[in-house]
Amino acid sequence: MWGMPTPPKVPVEERLFSLVLALLATEHGLTKSDILSTVQGYRQRYAHGGDNTALERQFERDKDDIRELGVPLETVAEPGQTDNQQLRYRIPKSAYELPADVHFTPEELTLLGLAARVWREGSLSADSRRAILKLAAHGELDPVIGLAPRLHTRERAFEPLSRALERRAIVTFPYLKPGESEARVRRVRPLSLVQHDGRWYLGAFDDDAGGERTFLLSRISGDVTVTAHTFPGDDVDHARATLDDLQRLWDQNVARVTVEPGSDAEVRLRHRAEVEDGALTIHYVDTNVLADELAAYGPEVLVLSPPRLRDAVIDRLRAAVERHDEARPDHEAAHG
Amino acid sequence: MAEQQLRGQDKLTLLLTLVPYLVERGRVGVAEAAEHFGVTPEQLREAVTLIAVSGVPGQTRQYQPDDLFDIAWDSFEEDDEIELTHLVALDETPRFSAPEAAALIAGLQYVQALPENAERPAITALMSKLARGSSGTPSPLAVGGGRPDATLGVVREAIEAGRRLEFDYRSSRGESSRRTIDPLRIDSLDRDWYVRGWDHAREASRTFRIDRMSEVRVGDEPATEASRRVRVPDHLFEPSPDDVEVDVEVPAGALALLGGFVDSQARIVEHDGRLRLTLRLAHHRVLGPLASRLAGVLTVLGPPEARRAVVEWAQAGLRRYDDDPAT
Repeated sequence: MWGMPTPPKVPVEERLFSLVLALLATEHGLTKSDILSTVQGYRQRYAHGGDNTALERQFERDKDDIRELGVPLETVAEPGQTDNQQLRYRIPKSAYELPADVHFTPEELTLLGLAARVWREGSLSADSRRAILKLAAHGELDPVIGLAPRLHTRERAFEPLSRALERRAIVTFPYLKPGESEARVRRVRPLSLVQHDGRWYLGAFDDDAGGERTFLLSRISGDVTVTAHTFPGDDVDHARATLDDLQRLWDQNVARVTVEPGSDAEVRLRHRAEVEDGALTIHYVDTNVLADELAAYGPEVLVLSPPRLRDAVIDRLRAAVERHDEARPDHEAAHG
Repeated sequence: MAEQQLRGQDKLTLLLTLVPYLVERGRVGVAEAAEHFGVTPEQLREAVTLIAVSGVPGQTRQYQPDDLFDIAWDSFEEDDEIELTHLVALDETPRFSAPEAAALIAGLQYVQALPENAERPAITALMSKLARGSSGTPSPLAVGGGRPDATLGVVREAIEAGRRLEFDYRSSRGESSRRTIDPLRIDSLDRDWYVRGWDHAREASRTFRIDRMSEVRVGDEPATEASRRVRVPDHLFEPSPDDVEVDVEVPAGALALLGGFVDSQARIVEHDGRLRLTLRLAHHRVLGPLASRLAGVLTVLGPPEARRAVVEWAQAGLRRYDDDPAT
């Protein structure tokens, strides 16, 4: 490569921006060699009649980056054409632009700004940050005074699972089912991520169980592996369906408990319970998850019904006593 | 976001949205536009400069002047103002990507938990608008369930009216007292809601869990001007010198169940496939509840008074059931 002048360095965003502009401007599409030889950021590095493998790989990555932003970069093939080099690329304006009838009122923009900022921590913050930039083109995103709600996606599993959802890739992960103390590896087709009553769930089709199941993200006890196996999509609104299932369980399951007057349990459970005949009624999704929570209140709560919940709470209290009354762990290792 | 480094994709998004914004605005100052997009003036100037030299290859495939955007250079360089004078290829705002639309829709579903939004039909209409404005079917992400806490409405009312808030508060140490605060901000983390405020009796800014408040009412007195100037820190929890340290053990993988109890700086040691670490807690009192909740997985190793606190708590709980045999 001696004697070749070093091409001037074009910043990534300039190359990507130029690619989007060129593909928006073309009606019939540009071939890969059109793009590499003429578009700003590629043309500087294009070898006429030479080897452009590295540049082609760059183009492939750029296409992915652009599509990830929601830009509809299309491939057009002429009928009967088999040569990859003759594929044409373009971005149809109608699919790129927001539909003409989609407008946001100032009140809606304020709400959307609040909704986007809900994600300011965690895995979705890159998407919400870009959503805020796009919204800003429509008007002012005034912050709402005195309000800072936040959704955490602190669970480690969130990020790989949302990636798998986009790709429709099968995942595996160890799962510590509520009420059990050993994790078991699951292999599932992820269908939705939902938060119900403050807890994140994965809705998925479990091949081994032969049906749809929900998994608590906080109970995924190790790394999520996104496999290369994909599965076909459908047009079911899985997020809505999972949320509806959880809500149905929540409506059905009712616990009756009594609380010590003036206790922590009384103050806190009252915020989400109804009072009936001197007892509190609490709706819940999963017996084991509520049992964990109620066991924490120790003597401040007495579970009246259902019996399964009552037994689950007693089991936990017993286990806590046994574990700390008899076991004699060596303290040295704890500090080692 | 102003202080953040922008990545390639973020910079491209800024370029693609800045153009339609400038078309809409006509002439606008750099400072105003930068604030609008939440970037630094420097980042915005860089973006404008790039737009001004960008365009399409054109007929000649040589990026002739007519194929490029142009700006009013004099006002840009002398008055720090932006005005596009020539457009190519692009003038409308882009659609949302599927994950962006999903993030907004799920965010709206969460915001709906606020009492003032609970019955708003506008939110449902807005969600369908977002779905239509997305370049693909929004990712399957949703938030719902639970019920809005009525207390939240009272707190919100006090903030909006600029009035004090009065309530009984039961602290995590089990002490109850009547408080009067100037409420400053409502915060939330998933299912837990908090209010930050200026506590008059303690002359300090404090964070209160909404579910530890009772007998809540909007006070008659206005919130004081001084409290409005109190800066609200962005993190919810602050360590205190009164914290106690406790050694615990959990199976590998169950660490996430400890949630907020684990300090980001905590040293975690593996021991026979189990993890050992030291938690900082406000009081030994919180251990009984913690170890009972995680009875199947958590072992408190020491100190002995911490283990004793767990046994006493759980035994007291069991006695309730001995005294009340199931029928």
